Amino acid sequence: MQPGEESVAFRLAKPRRAGASWSRARGRTFVALLAPALIVLFIVTIVPTVFLLATSVTPLNLAKLASLRFVGMENFQGLIDDGRFWNSLAVQARLSFFDVTLQLLIGLGLALLLNARLRFLDLIRSAFIIPMVLPPVVVALNWKLFFTPNVSVLNWLLGLVHLPQPVWLMDANLALWAIIISDVWEWTPFVLLMVLAALQMMPEEPLEAAKIDGASGLQVFRYITLPLLRPVLLVAGLFRFIDSVKAFPQIYIMTGGGPGNVTEATNFYAFLEGFSYSYIGYSSAIIVVMLVVTFVLSATIIRTVGQEAEVE
Amino acid sequence: MSSASVYVANRRPLSHTIRRSLLYFLTAILLVIVLFPVFHLVELSLKPARDAFVMPPNLIFAPVWDNYALVMTPKFLQPLGNSAVVSVATTVISLILGVPAAYALSRGHFRRDQALSLWTLSTRMAPPVAFGIPFFLIYKQLDWIDTLHGLVIVYLTFNLSLVIWMMRTFFDGIPTALEEAAYIDGASIIGTFWRVTLPLCAPGLATTAIFCFLMSWNDFFFSLILTRSEAVTGPVAIANFMNYETWEWGKISAAGTMIMLPVVLFSLAVRKYLITGLTAGAVKG
Repeated sequence: MQPGEESVAFRLAKPRRAGASWSRARGRTFVALLAPALIVLFIVTIVPTVFLLATSVTPLNLAKLASLRFVGMENFQGLIDDGRFWNSLAVQARLSFFDVTLQLLIGLGLALLLNARLRFLDLIRSAFIIPMVLPPVVVALNWKLFFTPNVSVLNWLLGLVHLPQPVWLMDANLALWAIIISDVWEWTPFVLLMVLAALQMMPEEPLEAAKIDGASGLQVFRYITLPLLRPVLLVAGLFRFIDSVKAFPQIYIMTGGGPGNVTEATNFYAFLEGFSYSYIGYSSAIIVVMLVVTFVLSATIIRTVGQEAEVE
Repeated sequence: MSSASVYVANRRPLSHTIRRSLLYFLTAILLVIVLFPVFHLVELSLKPARDAFVMPPNLIFAPVWDNYALVMTPKFLQPLGNSAVVSVATTVISLILGVPAAYALSRGHFRRDQALSLWTLSTRMAPPVAFGIPFFLIYKQLDWIDTLHGLVIVYLTFNLSLVIWMMRTFFDGIPTALEEAAYIDGASIIGTFWRVTLPLCAPGLATTAIFCFLMSWNDFFFSLILTRSEAVTGPVAIANFMNYETWEWGKISAAGTMIMLPVVLFSLAVRKYLITGLTAGAVKG
């Protein structure tokens, strides 16, 4: 559509029917179109959230009937003395930190590398999509396969170059790394594709100007490319952080939280308390704390992004 | 290739050629790392058990279908069917509710726009277990545990806001002049939306539908806690192969390949909008 056509249609519309009554009728129709979706969205998201807050102040236990009474902050006080809860927070912090950092670093590095005009770039990009759309269960099974001795191609390769062949998922020092590696494999492409898109839309003028002024490649990256990429890195980091807090299928299938509880991240611990031990009330309290922490951290990132630039 | 371009190619400095080759070499390694796990699963599913874990893996072999024959029983086919039914149903419902809402948001200039974006993002921040507990308790009361409609409703928690957000982006890209012209010609507001705007958005609609389908098809957590036997979906059925029949990798890889293939094919079709979908609520496509 040409800009000219648009204005002609607009001029014609005005004097004939598009008056105040038209826009009022439109407004009413829009409300009618919007209402059903918002009502359903309210029922499936807000109502359960209120429900969760309510159960978090009860000692609700599926094994015991009539355990639905108000106990105030008892569950939350219990959390303070619960070593396993604190351990889960520490595991979660490690998992999220290494997940996000490694994915951002590797994703950024690969994006810069692939930003050259490669002949098969479109094909390569399509290939990178595959890990992140796979069912998480399949990813977990894939990596379980790589981290299980005797069936592991990875351990066979390590053996070829005379490196130790660890029993990854049974080793307290390596089990969390196994989860992190599988996450990095699955989600680095997300960062890569976002950064690559940003790089290809980047204005050329500042880069050219800097080169003419004699800036080195490293200086151009440090003072021009990186600042321009900041918003996109923050958004990618935000989403990777949010998803790292939700890590579940990998833990469930690869380690079950073990060995001991070195891979028992907070959301997995909440799942165990709620669905293995039936302490629904206590589990709800864990989740409420977890949600608050996630919201606060995410809001901080969102505010930083909002202040810097509108990401399009 | 024309003689001119040969001439130019020959004139390139050697260092450039080396850098270029190195780049292609690194890219090839990357592709192997990205694609090998997927390839490996398919490869295992086509190998007889005794050859499966011979190292080094023999990459040239005559495929056998034994593993597929083993999983093609009601024990896996029923969950696979459940996955399909639930994913299609939740996609259709999300579109019916979400597409008109997205249109209204795109054209109506509501003041609470930002709030909706925040709402969408917030539902994304909540780990599944946060919705899992209330839905589990409510379904227990309603006797909806282990039902397909129970799963369909739970999947609306993420699919409905996904549809609203994605379709809104697509509607924003359609100029309003066309709608005004249709209105002058006597079409109603709904008629305009249905006959003018929606057909123009057909590619966006297809993309959004595929996205909804993928999100539900891939779900593991809700199916794990809200189903028992009748309504179990594909991903949970595979996890069950693991727990009760101790590491039958042949069966696991065949079943894994079966739930993975539709996802891979569909997502290649929507690759252009993949990031838009994955970042719904924060980034406009």
